Amino acid sequence: MSLLCKRSISASWSVVSILALLMGTASAQAQSLDLTIGALLESTGPLSETGPSIEKAATLAVQVANQAAKDAGIPATVTFVAADSQGDPQAALSAARTLVDKNASCILGPATTPEAISVLNGITLQRKITLWPQASSTRLRAVKDDGTIFRTVAAADLQSKALVLAIENHAGKGKNVAIIFRNEPYGDALSKTFTKDWEGRGGKVLTTVSFDPQQETFDSEAGQALADNPDAYVVIDYPETYAKLGAALVRTGKFDPRKLFVADTLSFAKVPGTIPVESINGAFGVAGSSPRGTGAYALFNKLWDEAGGAENGSYTANTFDAGILCFLSAVAAGSTEPGAIRDKVRTVSQEGARQFTIENLADAVDAAASGEPIDYVGVSGSFRFAPNGDLTTGFYDVFQYRDGKQVTVEQVNVK
Amino acid sequence: MATLVETGEAAIEDSTQPPRFARLPRPVILLLVLVAILCGLIAVFGPTMAAQATLNGFVAGGYIGLGAIGLTLVFGMLKVVNFAHGDLMVSGAYLTILLAWLGVPLPLGMLLAVTGTAALALATEKLVWRPLRRAGAGTLQLFLSAIGLGLVIRSTIQFFAGSQVRTLGANVVTSIAFGPLRMGTLQAVAFVVGLVAMVIVGLALRYTNIGKEMRALADNRALAEVSGINTSRIIDITWTISGCLAGLAGVLYATAIGSFNPNFGITLLLGLFAATILGGIGNAYGALVGGIVIGLSQEWSTLLFNARWKPVVGFTLLILMLLFMPQGIFGRTRRRS
Amino acid sequence: MSVDFWINVGVLAGIYGIFTLGLQLNAGFTGLLNFGQAGFMAIGAYSVGIFVVSWGLPLWLAFLLAVALAVAAGMLVGISALRLRSHHFAIATIGFAEIVRYTLQNAEFSGGNQGLIGFDDDWRSVNEWALSKLASVELDAYTQLPLLLAIWATFLVLLVTMELLQRTPWARVLRGIREDEDATAALGKNTFSYKLQSLGIAAALAAIAGFFVSLNITYLYPTVFDPTFTFFGYAILVLGGLGSYTGVALGSIIFWVLLEGTRLMETSLSAGQQSSLRFVIVGLSLILLSRLRPQGILGNRNELRAEP
Repeated sequence: MSLLCKRSISASWSVVSILALLMGTASAQAQSLDLTIGALLESTGPLSETGPSIEKAATLAVQVANQAAKDAGIPATVTFVAADSQGDPQAALSAARTLVDKNASCILGPATTPEAISVLNGITLQRKITLWPQASSTRLRAVKDDGTIFRTVAAADLQSKALVLAIENHAGKGKNVAIIFRNEPYGDALSKTFTKDWEGRGGKVLTTVSFDPQQETFDSEAGQALADNPDAYVVIDYPETYAKLGAALVRTGKFDPRKLFVADTLSFAKVPGTIPVESINGAFGVAGSSPRGTGAYALFNKLWDEAGGAENGSYTANTFDAGILCFLSAVAAGSTEPGAIRDKVRTVSQEGARQFTIENLADAVDAAASGEPIDYVGVSGSFRFAPNGDLTTGFYDVFQYRDGKQVTVEQVNVK
Repeated sequence: MATLVETGEAAIEDSTQPPRFARLPRPVILLLVLVAILCGLIAVFGPTMAAQATLNGFVAGGYIGLGAIGLTLVFGMLKVVNFAHGDLMVSGAYLTILLAWLGVPLPLGMLLAVTGTAALALATEKLVWRPLRRAGAGTLQLFLSAIGLGLVIRSTIQFFAGSQVRTLGANVVTSIAFGPLRMGTLQAVAFVVGLVAMVIVGLALRYTNIGKEMRALADNRALAEVSGINTSRIIDITWTISGCLAGLAGVLYATAIGSFNPNFGITLLLGLFAATILGGIGNAYGALVGGIVIGLSQEWSTLLFNARWKPVVGFTLLILMLLFMPQGIFGRTRRRS
Repeated sequence: MSVDFWINVGVLAGIYGIFTLGLQLNAGFTGLLNFGQAGFMAIGAYSVGIFVVSWGLPLWLAFLLAVALAVAAGMLVGISALRLRSHHFAIATIGFAEIVRYTLQNAEFSGGNQGLIGFDDDWRSVNEWALSKLASVELDAYTQLPLLLAIWATFLVLLVTMELLQRTPWARVLRGIREDEDATAALGKNTFSYKLQSLGIAAALAAIAGFFVSLNITYLYPTVFDPTFTFFGYAILVLGGLGSYTGVALGSIIFWVLLEGTRLMETSLSAGQQSSLRFVIVGLSLILLSRLRPQGILGNRNELRAEP
């Protein structure tokens, strides 16, 4: 689509929205808002086990957005394009270019910080395309991004505080803790922050074990973590490797799942079938919470199960929300121009504005199209973006796995 | 009997006389070194921790060794650096899943999956390797084709099954207790099967006619042809056996580890090559022992360093062994130079 | 598809072309199966990053030091492992490269899991200057163009240099080693020293390629130096043909056009399936190319048989 054509669309769209404001309804013969949402997926390469679930989350977001536009009577369509970032920053850059060539106005993903930085500097910064990485390293904060990076995934520091509170509430204050993390930027950063926070509150970290995800067995790692009989274990891992690590923990014969506290990458409505239930039933965990309760969450999980295919994985809800936020921002901007979308993200996640979830997304679309600021409360929580694009939401759910299902136990507020 | 053992004894004789080392055979030197390290670990960390790490080392090494037996055969007999071997293992695992999905009972499905993998390996010989040899391809061309072949197998599986993690649903959390020590039940089974496979392959290589012909082929292909050995038949058989072993390893791996995706073969591959070379190329016992040496050193190292250094320990050991024991543990001393 | 996409393909082809020149010297002309090239690349790239970020050196000086350091690493690997036989040398060098990669991921000095960032300011100012010059021919919208030009200029200079080097008596000794090391040694040549030099030059070329990788991705993280990239290099080498430096350039272009071009397939499959299909096609092409033209595109059949 040529630039000229795009401009005329956005011009006529804003005329339409003014008209709609005046008449209180959306005009049926309005020119359509044709938004393209791109996704960088780990379809092949070392992280490919996460590809299918993230792909499903992104396509679900596109379906839900299209449905909402239809229900709202707004002439908007959302198209989904995806490319394979292969877990490699160089491949991610190529992949991102194909998305941009297909007119993607936002890009969901990529999954890691190195890929995100390479894509940002290589292409999206220049074109003001918003990037919604599933990476939670604090490194991403330091880069100059011209406000184009938004993260629906919490960075390490807030989550660490939530974990501290969860352990204090369910294992006790000042106890001995063992940390096991997958040797990656996320686990590395979170374990360091957690150690500082936990020791700062008088607790003790007995052992910190980091394991290489490409190994076949984790029996030694499991044994080492449980050797000194800790009062609680913090596991920072993804479902794909926890399937093996969890089994190894149980095999040691010293494992008590009620002492286990997991980070948000191991938060699911229903435990995936690959993880042995013995290794997670009774375990506690933290995840960004949704103040409106679990209606949206339940709906998302229903949609997920109905769609069939891949089981739920890490950060699927966050990716889904990123897609919806991009869509709502485009509706609010009345444009598919990437910079215009970027400037509206905070208008559709504005504190104090009328709140919407995916249960009443069509109303949210109506409100956004009419120019009203809204507060989209996502499946993964509400979004308060700091100037650097990171989440500042202080509410976390503490949950427990009971009979293979996640049950919210309490909510904690961290600052 | 005397004639049967002849070539085998020649091999042993060679290995007992390394020019630079002490007079002891290499396996004995290695055993002594391992025992010495174990004693040291017992002294520092106590018997329980050292023994548990040793047990874990046998398990981890068993996985590597089991996969390496099929690889070492093709490497030793046919001089093919089969980078697709890990992906043959993946085929075994995913064929089992496919058959289970079709409603075939699991044990029968596993058997069929092993057969299917063998057929696939044979097909690669007919469709890829034989034409390449006829075209006069060199080592590097074969290597590139192996990488290509691995990609084709892995991506085809992924095309149909997806890249998400799968499981065969076996119970991987039960363990056998020996006093304070624990070993996963299925892991123990996998280890025993690996041991049996190794012994069968090792004995077959030494005592059957086909085994002898295979070794003759490995020593000198031209000479083997002249002496009336049907080389293409032997090559086919070698691939079939290697495929069987890959399928078996893949099925066991998938069962005992519990969860996997189509990448598991490629992540294992460097370990398999390390075991093959440590053990001595073409030697079935060597493959398993090489795997166990790697497994032991990696698991022992977790007592000393953080577990994330495990791969570094494995590779360092590999380089040291190559420098000081270049023929591998059971490998034959080369006659020339 | 857009010009930007193909500029990126050109950048990758140039970087891994430089990388493969070293493999050509080692495997093609000396008969050394060096599989540690990605490790030398990592040393080059990370040294640049560390010298700039931690030591505050200017980028260009850091680059020179990085090349020197990679050569030193090449010497170290050579001195300890060159006496190994071909396959053993190959696996020992892979081991070396993996040790380098895991060390960079686990150690503090390299930024560990958090990687290294912020070493490319000097390059960015050059880039801006180049773009301002390109503005006069209305090419300044292609932000990656200066990098492409820098890489290919370097690549061509290195290619010609290697080609000239090939005509010297020094290179004849290398070939002699490849054909028959014992005979060459019997002629009174110190074959070990020659092999060491060959390895050192390859390491330097890898470090130069690593420098450009770091400029391209602007962030250093160990996965970029996976052994896969060494295998890519060998694929380029075999495609282009053993014993031809021009073949390296051609092989690299073909390889990257194949690898990246397959992204542009339009199918109605899911993203996961389309990516799988892409690699099925890449794999089949690799097999077919080695089957149909075993000597490579510009390779010489006489050079083919002379491998270790």
